[in-house]
Amino acid sequence: MDIRKFFGVTPAKKPTNEKDKKENNKTSHGVTTQKKTKDHKLKSPGSDEKGKKQQSNKKKRIIYDSDSEEDTPPVKKSKRPQEESPPISKPLKVKKPDPVDYVSDTDEEDFATLRKPNKPKENGTKVVSPPSNSKITAKKTHVPAKVKTPEKKVSTSVEDFFGMGNVKRSNKKLVETKKEEPRGSTDDSLMDDEAIARELQLAEDEELERQLHEDEEFAKTLAMIDDVPKDKIQRKGEKKQTSPESKKSPAKAQKHSVRTLSQTDLSTTIKKEKDLKEETKKPSRTHSEGSSSSKEKSPAKSSSKLALMKKKEEAQQREVAVSSPATKTKVISPKKEMVTPAKSSSKSESSPEDSEKKHGNYTSYRNYLNREGPKALGTKEIPQGADNCLEGLTFVITGVLESIERDEAKSLVERYGGKVTGNVSKKTNYLILGRDGGESKREKAESFRTKIIDEDGLFDLIRSLPGKKSKYVIAAEAEMKTQAKAEKTPEKVAKKPSPVKRKLTPEKRQSPRAKKPAVEEDDWKKSVKREEKPSSGKSLDLAPASGKTESLLWVDKYKPTSVKAIIGQQGEQSCANKLIRWLRDWFKNHSSDEKKPAVKYNKFGAKDDGSSFKAALLSGPPGVGKTTTAVLVCEELGYSYVELNASDARSKNSMKEVVAESLNNTSIKGFYSGTSKFVNSKHVLIMDEVDGMAGNEDRGGVQELIALIKGSKIPIICMCNDRNHPKIRSLANYCFDLRFQRPRAEQIKGAMMSVAFKEGLKIPPPAMNEIILGANQDIRQVLHNLSMWCASNKALTYDEAKSNANNAKKDIKMGPFDVVRKVFAAGEETAHMSLIDKSDLFFHDYSISPLFVQENYVHVKPAAAGGNVKKHLLLLSKTADSICDGDLVDRVIRSNQFWSLLPVQAIYASVIPGELMRGYMSQFPNFPSWLGKYSSTGKHDRITQELAMHTSLRTRTSKRALNLDYLSYMRDKLVQPLAEHGAEGVQEVVDVMDTYYLMKEDYDNIMEISSWGGKPTPFSKLDPKVKAAFTRGYNKEAHLTPYSLQVVKASKRAASTLPSEYGEEAAIEDTQGEENQDDEVSVDAMIKAKKSKPSKSSKVEKGGDKKPSKAKTKKGK
Amino acid sequence: MSLWVDKYRPTSLSKLDYHKQQAAQLKNLVQCGDFPHLLVFGPSGAGKKTRIMCLLRELYGAGVEKLRIEHQTITTPSKKKIEISTIASNYHLEVNPSDAGNSDRVVIQELLKTVAQSQQLETSTQRDFKVVLLTEVDKLTKDAQHALRRTMEKYMSTCRLILCCNSTSKVISPIRSRCLAVRVPAPSTDEICTVLFNVCKKEGLSLPQELARKIAEKSGRNLRKALLICEACRVQQYPFSSDQDLPETDWEVYVKETANAIVSQQTPQRLLEVRGRLYELLTHCIPPEIIMKSLLSELLNNCDGQLKGEVAQMAAHYEHRLQLGSKAIYHLEAFVAKFMAIYKRFMEDGLEAMMF
Repeated sequence: MDIRKFFGVTPAKKPTNEKDKKENNKTSHGVTTQKKTKDHKLKSPGSDEKGKKQQSNKKKRIIYDSDSEEDTPPVKKSKRPQEESPPISKPLKVKKPDPVDYVSDTDEEDFATLRKPNKPKENGTKVVSPPSNSKITAKKTHVPAKVKTPEKKVSTSVEDFFGMGNVKRSNKKLVETKKEEPRGSTDDSLMDDEAIARELQLAEDEELERQLHEDEEFAKTLAMIDDVPKDKIQRKGEKKQTSPESKKSPAKAQKHSVRTLSQTDLSTTIKKEKDLKEETKKPSRTHSEGSSSSKEKSPAKSSSKLALMKKKEEAQQREVAVSSPATKTKVISPKKEMVTPAKSSSKSESSPEDSEKKHGNYTSYRNYLNREGPKALGTKEIPQGADNCLEGLTFVITGVLESIERDEAKSLVERYGGKVTGNVSKKTNYLILGRDGGESKREKAESFRTKIIDEDGLFDLIRSLPGKKSKYVIAAEAEMKTQAKAEKTPEKVAKKPSPVKRKLTPEKRQSPRAKKPAVEEDDWKKSVKREEKPSSGKSLDLAPASGKTESLLWVDKYKPTSVKAIIGQQGEQSCANKLIRWLRDWFKNHSSDEKKPAVKYNKFGAKDDGSSFKAALLSGPPGVGKTTTAVLVCEELGYSYVELNASDARSKNSMKEVVAESLNNTSIKGFYSGTSKFVNSKHVLIMDEVDGMAGNEDRGGVQELIALIKGSKIPIICMCNDRNHPKIRSLANYCFDLRFQRPRAEQIKGAMMSVAFKEGLKIPPPAMNEIILGANQDIRQVLHNLSMWCASNKALTYDEAKSNANNAKKDIKMGPFDVVRKVFAAGEETAHMSLIDKSDLFFHDYSISPLFVQENYVHVKPAAAGGNVKKHLLLLSKTADSICDGDLVDRVIRSNQFWSLLPVQAIYASVIPGELMRGYMSQFPNFPSWLGKYSSTGKHDRITQELAMHTSLRTRTSKRALNLDYLSYMRDKLVQPLAEHGAEGVQEVVDVMDTYYLMKEDYDNIMEISSWGGKPTPFSKLDPKVKAAFTRGYNKEAHLTPYSLQVVKASKRAASTLPSEYGEEAAIEDTQGEENQDDEVSVDAMIKAKKSKPSKSSKVEKGGDKKPSKAKTKKGK
Repeated sequence: MSLWVDKYRPTSLSKLDYHKQQAAQLKNLVQCGDFPHLLVFGPSGAGKKTRIMCLLRELYGAGVEKLRIEHQTITTPSKKKIEISTIASNYHLEVNPSDAGNSDRVVIQELLKTVAQSQQLETSTQRDFKVVLLTEVDKLTKDAQHALRRTMEKYMSTCRLILCCNSTSKVISPIRSRCLAVRVPAPSTDEICTVLFNVCKKEGLSLPQELARKIAEKSGRNLRKALLICEACRVQQYPFSSDQDLPETDWEVYVKETANAIVSQQTPQRLLEVRGRLYELLTHCIPPEIIMKSLLSELLNNCDGQLKGEVAQMAAHYEHRLQLGSKAIYHLEAFVAKFMAIYKRFMEDGLEAMMF
């Protein structure tokens, strides 16, 4: 932004400057977007300038300090020239005009003169290379810069040198300068003054910036984060350099000689590179696409440009502050580029599948699913290519390759720097066509004139293409080169402090009071630490500070310091912003009690801002930044907060005592610490990990919390992982519900890459992607993983990163359906699974996964059978045998508690079936029917037991014999009369029932359990009238049973069984009038009771003794 | 209006239709006034329970036929309440401890002790001991059987145990050695025929000789079943014809259908159907070993001589594992799958052999 304003001020110089900057920055890719932003910014330069002038005056003081310091410690000087040098070399550092102020003019001129000699040389090398293609030339301009630096190092390899190849941004220098600034000035007060001035200026700029895309904002934040890391990288490089260079330090002549040497080397390497590019024209395209237009002019650049630059710098010194935003915007553009390709690729990956599905009808889809894997898997030797030989090439793979899996091919391409996308587009360089490739892709490729190659073609490419430096390395090299140049003009050092401050300001802006000092200190420490490395033991005084930072976890070290910097929370509707709004308005909304009715009303509003709630509930998976967000939001709004987490006892009582009291207080913390002039009455209670409020310790905690919320005079922020947990659900009703989602992988990637840079960890972006996905988008996890690997190895190759990511793969809980699908899945998904991996599937839920396997193995079409039914059956049989073995093991495990046998069961019950039946499952896995069947078996068992008990006096048999022998005949006997004689048969049936002491319930049960295969029972086929008649007929009489009925069991037992023994009549008293109980056994002695209503059809049943009427009988049912 | 089986069940030792010698021995045993613990075993439908009841009647007189069903609630040491129903007369108590499942040990300990510890009241008119009849002893857990050991000796003076089971193989030897084992073999086909004739005579029916024999064979020497079939025949068709169809129980029909389904087609889909049918059988509480056995016999009908041996051996293998395992369906299904694979291979080989 500022830069543009800058240009706006001095329009004449603008064009050349811009070009220079772009080249140096390599941000040039995003030219178009940049330009737009520039336009915006051009409008507001004037006001900023003034502010900056003021600043610059102030800064002069600082600079003097720093100068003096520099003079005194010679040790530092030696470092500085190297570190600071980069900014100089890059004219883009227009921001540095500021520094120029402090520095004497003569210095600057020196610088200019120094540069001139250098530049011509560079140009000379460029000239050597034929300017054939405008794009190519553009590339070259980059190349020389990059190449130079490595050669200086001589002994160290390029890769070692640039720990992280990805450094693309010019910002690095800013970062460096940042660090230096603290060193130089070592004065907080200075910082503050400047900060205030800057804040004023930046406020406007940032407003504008904010209005830009979210993406841009994101990128910016990333860029801000990035600043710090970059110097690390450079430091590394410097370390190596130091030994040779430090000796030479001021001696420019020596350096020149070195350079000339290196340049000759360079020219050769450059030529090679050109050749490469001509062979594969694409790379050049991809690299320079956006910027090509601007770059074309670059070759024309000459030393005169430098002079111009200098002039400009002088003229614009006042505008230094303005320049910083501009650099930010520039930073953004490269970032975007990184992000966008990823997105596009992911989109395109899904699209081809879709198109295929639409394209083919069902059968072809089936074919697609069923298609076999590579036929000659592993037959061909996978060639070893030069590093990054596929750099910049884009591949699309379709069909089944001959000797390698698709996955493998993809990772092969990625390993050598190529990119694999899912869809053919203009940018696609090669289409790798395998067996059964997609027609549409092929046609498309032909229309785009994409080269179509097969697997061998790919191997040939890898073998034949010469290695290239990855663009990241190239970028880093360019940095180094410019840096090297800067060494010659150590005066520039002075300029650095100001950019540093600018960098800090954005962060400060968010949390002006609380965070600023901390942030600065942090950066300070970091810088100190880093500087320490090169100068090893010399700066002893700094040691303690660096020790401090050393102990920080990465997670804390790179903790966002402003709300804007929180990953995944940039959107206007993001949880963080909602929380800010809610919190900001809280006191407004809850100032008076009269609001309460409105609260209720609001609750039913669909999308409200939560103003009705007195508390907020942040929920989401771990590692997405809930706590961070809450804390930062409080800080941003200037609220003080009390945090209670699971480490505090939060029982009902302690909540009451500790929290409730403290909440009604006012904090004088701010007052005492001097950060605020008044007593801060706004505080917030943060209840972290509320789902941890469990167990005896915290009993009643949630209820108390709810009570607290109801009566609270301050906002409360609760946090939990699972908001559907029963304990939380009650709480959730009283809270403004904010759900945190996992950030997308791309969102995390940017930030993680920058952390990696800062830490000197070299990870290619695709690998980073793997790592992030492996950690299931848990930012904290990713950071921890990175820091672990960083400890062992600074440079991760793609393969290493991938395998590491797989190792660290967060255990993702799979549902049993997924497990069983994966057990039987064929092809890429399971091809690389080890035995342990496969048996691990079983352990996702060892109690149910064998059931799932058993239920679903029949549905799988095994690939091994190849459609042969005989083979298929054989496999089924083998699988079933293995499952049986699993069952045997299961029995042993459970009966003898030999849980150590579980792995054995895993093999039998899951792995072997999976191996045998591996193939394609034709349907979604079924839930095991065994469970349902088991429970209905249990039910039938109870029924037969009851029947057996009821009839036992007659049948004298066990339930098993009853079930096997009696049941169907008995059923017939009970139904046939009704079927044959209709209502006439009712009496007969009732007699049978009485004989066997069956109740109506038993009758129904018999019908139920004697129905087979879901066929209707004979009883249900009866005429409804007959059924009704039967029911009536049965109910007409009371039925005596020799057993007590469940309903009256308790009282009956006590009351009736004892007296009833053999006393024929005695037992029949029925206190409840519910059922009669009769202990009589013999048929003749059977007592038939009268209907309770002797109305019309009072039939006295067959000659049984009539009960003396005292027996009150009742209907059986 | 009860079924014939129950209607014509003999009630005294002298009226028993077969194993008369054994009945006489039992009678002698009882008439001595005392008898040891008995372990009565034999296949289902051989008349064990009938014989025991006759014995009790001989012992105590007709009073023993006045039965009542009682529910007892027993609390386990772990405070779990167990409901168990008992059949009791004044003189004896019949319990099926295995109804209590895994807690059968508690049933044995508590119930048996309370009964055994109490003396008979009127020793003058009655025997001075009670009888406890435990059914399905072979289903008892080992724990319960061990709990039984000491009780059997300790309360010998007040209590006699009659254990009833199908097979002694699952009764631990200490118990076997404490009992007088009485084996009630299944009646021979002829004996069954005799019984059938007698019953039909009492019902006033004439039963053809051939049909009686057919029924007897069909029943598998299970008298109860024979009588039930006979009665079902009567319902189905009277007068009897010697070649009439014998009604079968539902599950037998179902197994037969299942076997046919297996033989008629061997595909994964069919295996899936068969699984459904096996589940159906299992949910109807048909014991898996019976399913296996009847399935095998049906399948064997469709097998060649050479194949028969293989299949039979296979079935034995799977039945063995069935006993070792816990989920019957796995083993039944594995058996079916294996049979399908073998049968398919056999059929295709046969076809090829025919073609060349």
